[in-house]
Amino acid sequence: MRKARKLVSSIAFACLLSSTASTVALAAECSDTIKVLAQPRDGLTLLEDYKAEFEKLSGGASFEIDYLNENDRRAKTKADASTIGKYNVYYIDEANVALFASAGWVAPLLDYYPADYDYADFDPGRQKVATYDGKVWFAPITGGGDLMVYRKDLLEAAGITPPNTLDEYIAAVKKLNQPDQGIYGTALRGQRGSGANVWRWMPFFKGFGGNWFDGKTPVFDGEQAIKATETYLELFKYSAPGSQTGGWDEAVGAFTSGQVAMLIESTPLVGMAIDPKSSKVAGKVGYLPPPAPLTGGGYGHGLAIGAKANKDEASKACAGLFIAWATSKENENRRLEANQFSELNRTSIMTSKKFAELYGPDLGQALADTGKVTAVNFWQNPQWPDLGDRWGIILEELITGTRTDIKDGLDELDGFAKELVARSQ
Amino acid sequence: MKQKNSLPAVFLTPAMMILAVLAFVPTVYAIYISLQNRELSRPVGDFVGIANYIDLFSDRRFINAIGVSLTWEAVTVGMTLIVAVGLGILLFECAAPRMRNILALLFLMPVILPRVSAAFVWKFAFHPLYGIATYPYKAITGQPLDLLSNPATALATVALVDVWQWGLFFSVIVLKLLETLPPQPFEAARLDHARTWEIYTHIAIPMLKAPLISLAFVKMIESLRAFDLIYVMTRGGPGITTETLDMYAFSQGFIESGRISYASSMAVLMMIATSIAFTFIWKRVQ
Repeated sequence: MRKARKLVSSIAFACLLSSTASTVALAAECSDTIKVLAQPRDGLTLLEDYKAEFEKLSGGASFEIDYLNENDRRAKTKADASTIGKYNVYYIDEANVALFASAGWVAPLLDYYPADYDYADFDPGRQKVATYDGKVWFAPITGGGDLMVYRKDLLEAAGITPPNTLDEYIAAVKKLNQPDQGIYGTALRGQRGSGANVWRWMPFFKGFGGNWFDGKTPVFDGEQAIKATETYLELFKYSAPGSQTGGWDEAVGAFTSGQVAMLIESTPLVGMAIDPKSSKVAGKVGYLPPPAPLTGGGYGHGLAIGAKANKDEASKACAGLFIAWATSKENENRRLEANQFSELNRTSIMTSKKFAELYGPDLGQALADTGKVTAVNFWQNPQWPDLGDRWGIILEELITGTRTDIKDGLDELDGFAKELVARSQ
Repeated sequence: MKQKNSLPAVFLTPAMMILAVLAFVPTVYAIYISLQNRELSRPVGDFVGIANYIDLFSDRRFINAIGVSLTWEAVTVGMTLIVAVGLGILLFECAAPRMRNILALLFLMPVILPRVSAAFVWKFAFHPLYGIATYPYKAITGQPLDLLSNPATALATVALVDVWQWGLFFSVIVLKLLETLPPQPFEAARLDHARTWEIYTHIAIPMLKAPLISLAFVKMIESLRAFDLIYVMTRGGPGITTETLDMYAFSQGFIESGRISYASSMAVLMMIATSIAFTFIWKRVQ
């Protein structure tokens, strides 16, 4: 027994020594400022309060985060990563991970992500969208699927039970739309972009059985896409003003300001809608998985190691350490304490007692249920942003009425997709 | 004597060299890559001759962008000058010197505001649900007014912000120009019972022809660089109704495709077209 204790203490001492040695080795090389290009997230802002902690952990390195909104962040990361490579860490997402990975703009994350930080603890869906070509490229800082979020008071007053099917949903949206009383049936995204209007359109397209490509042949130009677009345009008749060229901010803003009866949006909406600090309708909100046959738009955003700015292995290790610390269990716990629902990604946190105390069992159940219908709706290819953005423009034209022929729009996209495939060969 | 002659060259050479590096290197590089098929994700490209230029003319978004850019130039330059001259005359005729100075200071404020800030302020002001500019319409009719999502009004609404910034600024310049004019021709015209509008149409504005043309040129160049305003307020939408050439080139280069060669060919064409147009207008004016 004494021998066994001795052995255990020797192993523990050896582990302590080796971890100290590795920290010392890291301290010798990890002392510069890590530059991060990201989009605004409460979780990242919160990190800035703990700079000293990272400085101590890394042996002297600090970090600076530049923020740009989603579309600008996408453009700037692409421009920076392909040219000067000023940033050590990029905020990337499911839609451009394939592009960044295949172009060599980011380094494989797990090669530099310290094992102690337990990457396997992240939600499996988010791990899936962070993986391309068999390798993991980013550590999630937000992600999830879709939820149908509705105003319980308005539905009750109108005698409507929360819809389970798309037909019921459309009927409810029409009935609840009362512009003269400042209430709109729904709020959609009309703003161009693969991560904007196309993101909200895709659950209809995939839900109706549509597919983007069969091998290298585009197959999206069919009945499913037409039906999806017709349905989306039909719902836009009841969408809040400003959403026709608006994105997430406009749709969510219209709901949380009490002007929308129900909408289907990415899961972080719930956190905002039930928080009295950001929502006028907190306490009146219900949530369910998207009505059948809609699929949820599985997504994940996270931090990746820039390949150009981190020229040597030591710099990559520094960036990896920063990402690991930023997405660690400790920092996620802080986000949970700060009631930052949308910034939670780890299974251990989302199944914790504290999470259940804060958000109640309903939300946990709704998230579990929506996980079953969450899917990868987009074309997992480096050229997806190009194709998605082109469809975004055509879709915006259809929404705002500068184009009326859906088939003509899809044919144009089909021609563009063929050209895109030819260009990549 | 010899030393004296070489002095201008001594002073000019460094400045000209810096200018040459700043102006010619990017221009030559843009022309060079416009003849290739380079993309951001594929930095090494092949020479494709003038294929990018040929493709542009079958690209509906490029053709649309030419129309939008021309409309934008005509509307913003024209409206800015009309507002500037009208307000300048109004201030000169109706305001006492002290009031003129106060108003001139106020009129300078919008142009001091960074373009992106101005764009955000007005974007919120025009919001159909919460906007202060659209509130009166909503209060009277009960209907929201969504100017930036309407293809018929989006470009004009963004142009209004541009004119708000530059028209007020130019009106101060016009006012100061009017104050420098000799009073005799005005007095003579008044003795001949000329009406106020006749005095300005036939005397003051012709006397200010040269500085007004200069102002028009400044505004024409400035209007070509309205990217930030349009990008923040509409991103080129609804659809492509406010997508100008610079917006489309940026979009192709960095937002959507990463097709930097294709975007460069647009930039080169824009450079050639503006150089020809400005030279032609300048010669006509002279």
